[in-house]
Amino acid sequence: MALGTWIVIPVYNEATMIGRVVRELRTVFPNVVCVDDGSSDGSMEAIRRATPHALRHLVNRGQGAALQTGTAYALRHGAKWIAHFDADGQHRIEDLVRMVEAVASGSCDIALGNRFGGDTSDIPAGRRLLLRCAVAFHRMVSGIELHDVHNGLRVLSRAAAERIEITADRMAHASEIVDLIAQSGLRVEQVPVTIRYTEYSKAKGQSWTAGFRIMFHYLVGRVLG
Amino acid sequence: MTAFQIILLSSLGAIALTIVALMLRGAVGRIAGALWLLVLFAGMVFAIKPNLTTTIANALGINRGTDLLLYLLVLAVLYGFLLIYLKLRRVRRELTLLVREIAIREASRTTDDHARAQDDADREASS
Repeated sequence: MALGTWIVIPVYNEATMIGRVVRELRTVFPNVVCVDDGSSDGSMEAIRRATPHALRHLVNRGQGAALQTGTAYALRHGAKWIAHFDADGQHRIEDLVRMVEAVASGSCDIALGNRFGGDTSDIPAGRRLLLRCAVAFHRMVSGIELHDVHNGLRVLSRAAAERIEITADRMAHASEIVDLIAQSGLRVEQVPVTIRYTEYSKAKGQSWTAGFRIMFHYLVGRVLG
Repeated sequence: MTAFQIILLSSLGAIALTIVALMLRGAVGRIAGALWLLVLFAGMVFAIKPNLTTTIANALGINRGTDLLLYLLVLAVLYGFLLIYLKLRRVRRELTLLVREIAIREASRTTDDHARAQDDADREASS
């Protein structure tokens, strides 16, 4: 299972953190694909030292684009399961393992991390409200009931990854994926996960204004296709 | 004829000639070129007979000819922006696909090199 799983990490200016995150992951999952999205801080060198699967976007194209690049690469290398993982160390490997197991068991095609599934005391109040708003928004426009739509931790079966092509280059990809799941009829399981809110990962998180920008990009994408 | 009418007519005429030249070279399509020439021709007519715009405006329920031109200009600019925006989206999408393909090929090349070097080293070690 560990060999068939490919972890895709979009990286943008994470030089201080990415090496440690990748090395820790590779003790469990040897195949880690990092996509450096045109960083300017030496992330690429850190990635090259940590994994043989180091990809680089020549110009910055956004997190959604980087995820799709890494996913396409993993598919070409025969991945059976594909995981999306964040570069800032906010996800826990034990959560990822449980999600891969859920998809590998065949009970679902996609496993989405759900930070509201268990103990939520660590989640900052502002963050919780923002994410709750995103969930309510999605229930309204897509009619799909998910607890945590903007969680970067996902596991897709090969078949699911082949069917879901992210075209929202920037942050609206998480919303786009929700829609694609709703349309495709793929089976989703929401697995409780714990997000490590460190000063570093909080600084890397999205603000309220970014939330509105994401909503705008998402709506434009939906209207114009 | 006023000085400004002469400036306007010669400018419109110069643009029309440019478009004809571009059409002859095939740089501008026949339909697009014809539309451009039609607009320029209308501009020339209005430059010679400015009161004609007011006559048309009145028929449409607008008081002044200049107002009619202003409204048409606003519509044209908005439509132009929309077309440019859609074009930009397409170009961005194509750029992403290009950047993605280069990233994947570059990485595949280096990992293949790695694998080959590894194979060579293994072979040397075993021989």
